Amino acid sequence: MKVRLGVLAIAALLPLGGRAAFAQTLGVSGDPGLLRISTAVSGSEPIAVSNSSTTYTVSTPNPNRLHSITAQLNAAMPVGVTLTATLAAPPGATSLGPIALDVTARDVVTGIPRRTDSTHGITYQLAATVQAGVVPVSTRIVTLTIVQAP
Amino acid sequence: MRNREPSTRTAMTNMTRILATLTLLLAAANAAQAQTATQTVTFQVDAINQIAFTGSPSLVVNTATAGSGPAAATANGTWAVTTNQSNAKITASINSAMPAGLTLTANLAAPAGGTSAGAQTLSTTAVDVVTGLTQVAQGTLNVAYELTATTAAGVVTSQSRTVTYTITGGT
Repeated sequence: MKVRLGVLAIAALLPLGGRAAFAQTLGVSGDPGLLRISTAVSGSEPIAVSNSSTTYTVSTPNPNRLHSITAQLNAAMPVGVTLTATLAAPPGATSLGPIALDVTARDVVTGIPRRTDSTHGITYQLAATVQAGVVPVSTRIVTLTIVQAP
Repeated sequence: MRNREPSTRTAMTNMTRILATLTLLLAAANAAQAQTATQTVTFQVDAINQIAFTGSPSLVVNTATAGSGPAAATANGTWAVTTNQSNAKITASINSAMPAGLTLTANLAAPAGGTSAGAQTLSTTAVDVVTGLTQVAQGTLNVAYELTATTAAGVVTSQSRTVTYTITGGT
């Protein structure tokens, strides 16, 4: 009898846990256009280019804790080439500004409050030194992840 | 009493299975707490070869040491370069030939890793002035002009020449 009650209690709690686990969501509007560096001021490094055409939508309907968003690449950038991402922050959260992306997940937005449901801009910037040389068309996959703040 | 033991073991076994299943479900639920979205970023860097020169130097030959030819006149300017290629070079030429007896030279200081050809006589044919430019971005480099005249040149009224510098990309 005790065993049955225990099973019933756990079974009753499971759906609650399942709902909480899938509460927060993160989506993007699409892929940014080509980032192409093609000019420089004589005597200076090549001029960086940026793209602010995409957005992300974050939803934290009913979490118990604050959330943050991390970003990481699927592969390292070529030597001398830097890709940074700036995610505008939802109200009450903090954008960490331009963050150079690599294969390590790095915080880009922190302190996302509970019951956030909003859309904000993403700005990518591509910079290159002359040491990068000529870089043919390449792609990297940026993975944005929403995680519970510790 | 003996008959209840198997029943208890069965119940405990079922409980163990249920707990194991729940553990897996909860683990999966925790894993699902990290929601992700992805974007594909496409990028490229083109070949970049840019130079700039500042200054419009004026050169006047107007004196001499007695017994020698006229003293040369000199003037300076600056230049800057950016290239992300290897073994680029810079050539120089003027838009029309110098008067007989007059010689105009240009001497460009080389940026790091490059090689200056030293003072080069300018003519309508392009001549190398700096070679071996490899992935460099450097400014405020000196360019020295020198105008020399022989006595045979006589008096030459004010004239101008346009010096064209060209950077040729490497590889």
